[in-house]
Amino acid sequence: MSTDIWVWIAALLTLGIFSFLYKDNPFYRFCEHLFIGITNGYAITFYWHRIIVPSLINPLSKGEKLYLLIFAFIGALYFTRFIPRLSWLVRIPIAFVIGYGAGAAIPRTIEAAIIEQAKATILQRSNFTNIFNGISSIIIFFGVISTIIYFFFSTERKGVLKHLAYSGIIFIMLGFGASFGYTVMARISLLIGRLTFLLRDWLGIIK
Amino acid sequence: MKPVKSLFDYIDKIPKDKALLISVDYTPDTEAELQPMTIALLRHAFCRKIKVGVLTLTLLGLGLAEDALRVVTKEFNEKAINNEDSIIYGRDYVFLGWQTPPLVPLLGMGESITKVFPVDYYGNRTDTLPLLKEIKNYRDVGIVVSISGSAIPMWYVTYAQTTFGVKVGAGFTAVSAADYYPYLNSGQLTGLLAGMRGGAEYEELVEENFKIKGRRKATEAMSAQTTAHLTIILLIILGNFIYFYKKKK
Amino acid sequence: MKVKLPLVICLIMGIMGMVAYYVPHKIIQDFDNEWRNTALRIIFAFSLALGVGSIIRHHLEKIKRKREFFKYSYVTLISLFLTAFIGLFGGIDGKGLIKMQIGKFNFDIQTIYVNMAIPLGATMFSLLAYFMASAAFRAFRARNFEAVLLLIAAFIVMLASVPPIARLLPKLLYISEWILDVPNTAAKRGMLFGITLGVLSTSLKILLGIERGWLGGK
Repeated sequence: MSTDIWVWIAALLTLGIFSFLYKDNPFYRFCEHLFIGITNGYAITFYWHRIIVPSLINPLSKGEKLYLLIFAFIGALYFTRFIPRLSWLVRIPIAFVIGYGAGAAIPRTIEAAIIEQAKATILQRSNFTNIFNGISSIIIFFGVISTIIYFFFSTERKGVLKHLAYSGIIFIMLGFGASFGYTVMARISLLIGRLTFLLRDWLGIIK
Repeated sequence: MKPVKSLFDYIDKIPKDKALLISVDYTPDTEAELQPMTIALLRHAFCRKIKVGVLTLTLLGLGLAEDALRVVTKEFNEKAINNEDSIIYGRDYVFLGWQTPPLVPLLGMGESITKVFPVDYYGNRTDTLPLLKEIKNYRDVGIVVSISGSAIPMWYVTYAQTTFGVKVGAGFTAVSAADYYPYLNSGQLTGLLAGMRGGAEYEELVEENFKIKGRRKATEAMSAQTTAHLTIILLIILGNFIYFYKKKK
Repeated sequence: MKVKLPLVICLIMGIMGMVAYYVPHKIIQDFDNEWRNTALRIIFAFSLALGVGSIIRHHLEKIKRKREFFKYSYVTLISLFLTAFIGLFGGIDGKGLIKMQIGKFNFDIQTIYVNMAIPLGATMFSLLAYFMASAAFRAFRARNFEAVLLLIAAFIVMLASVPPIARLLPKLLYISEWILDVPNTAAKRGMLFGITLGVLSTSLKILLGIERGWLGGK
């Protein structure tokens, strides 16, 4: 059994969250609210020490880069959210961030998620270096087209479209089946991690 | 195994003048699945004696990244005979820390890593660290491996790879791994580690190739996972059996 | 002014972001890098005020109006201020303005994070394993051909993830990899095209001022 007080604190908090499996209770609620408080306090620490101080406070205290005050003022407009008469000013810093983010994202997303993916879907000579690769490439090509057609609801599904849409469902079901199979592994892994901590690091029952 | 092996093989062939950049982009809720991947990657890099840079795009990943570095450097330094064998901060690896918004490091590291991270996680000025005098930007990075429980590796593909052509590898939780196979297929991802199994396979590859012994958390958990998987399969079969039996009645 | 000014700023910033991608000229690239490393970083850092301020306001409101479970709001607020105090005055390593140590007992921000935040966060998500097992028994029914297909694919992938079975039946591993590499890739890529085009059109609508949800109310 561990004698480290922090391991005991971690173990008790773990058991507090696990107690929810029995039913919602004060211990669980306490742990839940504690988590929110700690993570926000952690965020404040790092925003201050690693962003505000090196990027703003340090240069200004040396009398350098005085133009940073303009950006600090724009950032400070976030606080106007809590003053009802001036709350519209919060849109200004949000506009800066959202605007630049969207502008930087659009061309790059087109390149990465549309053009490159389309290139990978198109059948090329290099796909047919061996028969297995060739067949797989044809299946992927067909699968992508039929999946896209499945999600196309602007016309009535008749004739070829109906059959293609049904093929799309087949591919989607296989895809979701694969995701579900992996999801089981993920959830179990998290539980194994916590139980290992309790049994090994805290109680020392397993080595 | 193929996606894991292709990532392993690529990292195994990174030239010594290039660095491995590990982006620890997960939070405590996915630590059990993803921390073993980070540890296995660090072991691989240190065995090969290639330079390592560690950063995170999520604030809550900082403590996890530091924990992984502490575990692996302790492992190596306990066995080290001389200075050459030791893993020394600033020479062999740096922990850059975290910056926000994510666009800043994603695009900024294409120009200069020290401009994006003027101080490292520990508060040291990055322009004084020997490693960062050689590794200046993405051109000096062999591959960026982002390990995440969300779509953050795709940010590296979308921003860093599209703009600067840097190679990207990824580690995902099993929940989301299947969604990123299109990127593996298109070659945008050099390799992919999926969940605890991916972590276990990478740990095995590192141990087989470098004969090092360290705690293999993912591999240890696989036996418990075997039992759990079989239980879930039995529950699904049992549930369906009862459903069809009742339907027949 | 209250609507037009933010929309104009959004459009100008958007154009700036796009121009930097297409124009490799040194002046544009240097300006873009400097903008990101200074202005964007500082402006974004203040956004924490919005998040933390909203949480504090919500919990203070809860306490003031004595809503259900209001006593737990004290836990959130006290832990938030205490952690922030320890971090701000103790520094990242606990050796800042005030040393966060009593004898050999450390309580710096990293120790608190590793021993409290990580166990709490990790355990919350590990609860999902129970709910998933419960759902597996109660909800996953092979009602039709498509559902059977889903379950078969899931079983193959699950069994192939189990090392002893993968060793016994290597062909299963092969089939599992094929399912992931081919039909799964095809389906996910099809969905990716649709989702990406949707996201792109929404982003363009935001830049052009057609989509104004981000402005909030009046």
